[in-house]
Amino acid sequence: MAEPVLDVRRQLEGEPWVEGPIDDGILNKTLNHFVWKRPGRGWLMLFFLGLAGTAVLVNAIVITIARGIGMWGNNIPVGWAFGIINFVWWIGIGHAGTLISAILLLFQQKWRTSINRFAEAMTLFAVLQAAMFPVLHTGRPWFALYWLFPYPSVQRIWPQFKSPLMWDVFAVSTYFITSLLFWYLGLIPDLAALRDSSSSKRARKVYGIFALGWRGSSRHWHHYKIAYLLLAGLATPLVLSVHTIVSWDFALSILPGWHTTVFPPYFVAGAVFSGFAMVVTLMIPARRYMGLKHVITPRHIEAMCKVMLLTGLIVAYGYAMEHFAAWYSGNGYEEHVFFKTRAQGPYRFIYYLMLFCNICVPQLFWTRWGRRNIYAVWIAAVLINVGMWCERFVIIVTSLHQDFIPSNWAMYYPTWVDFSLLFGTICFFGTLFLLFLKYIPAVANYEMKEFHHELTHEKGLTELEGARP
Amino acid sequence: MRRFVIGEFTDPDDCVRAVLRLRGMGVEGLDAYTPYPIHGIDDALGLPRSTVPLVAITGGVIGAIGGYVMQAWMNGKDYPINVGNRPPHGFWTNIPITFESGVLLAVLSIFFSAIFKYFQLPRPYHPLFESERFRSASLDAFWVTVETEDEAAIPDLEQKLREVGAHKVHTVTEPA
Repeated sequence: MAEPVLDVRRQLEGEPWVEGPIDDGILNKTLNHFVWKRPGRGWLMLFFLGLAGTAVLVNAIVITIARGIGMWGNNIPVGWAFGIINFVWWIGIGHAGTLISAILLLFQQKWRTSINRFAEAMTLFAVLQAAMFPVLHTGRPWFALYWLFPYPSVQRIWPQFKSPLMWDVFAVSTYFITSLLFWYLGLIPDLAALRDSSSSKRARKVYGIFALGWRGSSRHWHHYKIAYLLLAGLATPLVLSVHTIVSWDFALSILPGWHTTVFPPYFVAGAVFSGFAMVVTLMIPARRYMGLKHVITPRHIEAMCKVMLLTGLIVAYGYAMEHFAAWYSGNGYEEHVFFKTRAQGPYRFIYYLMLFCNICVPQLFWTRWGRRNIYAVWIAAVLINVGMWCERFVIIVTSLHQDFIPSNWAMYYPTWVDFSLLFGTICFFGTLFLLFLKYIPAVANYEMKEFHHELTHEKGLTELEGARP
Repeated sequence: MRRFVIGEFTDPDDCVRAVLRLRGMGVEGLDAYTPYPIHGIDDALGLPRSTVPLVAITGGVIGAIGGYVMQAWMNGKDYPINVGNRPPHGFWTNIPITFESGVLLAVLSIFFSAIFKYFQLPRPYHPLFESERFRSASLDAFWVTVETEDEAAIPDLEQKLREVGAHKVHTVTEPA
């Protein structure tokens, strides 16, 4: 009698989140295997490619600073272009990390354990890339300090706090600091584990310094648990507030195409959408290359696909509402932006690419095949990244290049410096990420052990219950 | 000179049970060192409620008030910027930064109080690190320790640790 009950249970519970025979010792070995291994040819090759791309970035930054932002394609009316597009794109990518590490923690979605360290690192590096653009777009970054931060300078003036751009400065810097500290607090026990499992004296010393002397005392864990939970709780509203404030940069102006109340929720959903796409893009090759398939299972990928499907649908709703509001308002300028400039104007190709990537592609995830086929998922995730970049291009450039007075209209063409900055930040991001994969455990060790313990504990109990007549 | 009598367990539940029994025997200076936080150890050690939330709320409130006052003073009083004749002190427009600075200060106070006050880190050296076997405390073993100043009590404590099921029981002495 007991067996059918167990069968039904197994079906309801789904596949395991951790595969294969596993104990704490095996987790130590497999999760940190990549840190102790000599870097392989693939890693080295990617790393040097990333460094080369970073050189392109440095070159573009030097030229921008030395010659001024005239080197960019920006003009009047398109005063905001690649700089802000890339800023919003990168910041949006970062949001998935915080969502995974904080919101899923509060919702007790235990499967996040396998991917949270990975996603948090992605957040940090993405925010770092994002932060570069506002500083560079000021043209004279050495002045940016007193434009952006309220510190007592000799000029005795203060920033204008009624501007969403100032809110953005506070939101992004708070976000970066919170993500960094949250990430580091989570890392401390793992760095201690690396210190204690190291075989060379130098590794032991270096990891020992960064572990700060963590011993795993229960008196410390007692405070640690609550501190970690509180940081997660505080990071949660940040996920919502940062991209809301970014969307206010646009929504608080009166430009048609920007002046919409749907912007904050639609930006937040878009951020999570693109962030998950980036996590999947990076994780699929990494889990294979680093031998992490037993902790990042197809079930994890499937769960992430479902999040992408949901947020993709919210984004689609956002597009629909924007167009509906433009039509329903009867405002000629609004109608012009949505139905003429975007749908039929000179940048329509990017508009349709955006619709295809962000609305059509995620529909693939309705099917089980679409969520299970690793190659299909990866290609879809890359397309979503492209689509979300196009979305920012459409919002920013199409709205600006044809505004109220036709005599004011002008086309925008990015220059090679613009492209180098975009390409360079992608490479720099990749380089940082490769270094992270090599030197820091990419999966949170201690949380994984705790999770595994809970799983086996639970399993023991349910099997007992299942055996009961 | 501090001495630590330490014993290893391979199962977290045994570790919790052992701590409970040792406390029942009246042993003082108990602690457990584990790779991850284990369930029930807080109660077994009889730890009082953590005060981290108090630190967090204090930091958050100070941050929020500070953020608001900063904006009100800078834009409203010290250097009013007149844009379209709007009032220099705007309540609603101050809210986003008030929120962000509240979160920021709460986060900073949680992190730094945890590291410096609650964990007393950074402390790269600790007498327990003298034991090579103790390295497994961050990997896959669960250690129960008893801290004592009294050299005479050590054999008795070692005996008690063995009694509650610990393996590899030994004593670490802080070098003079």
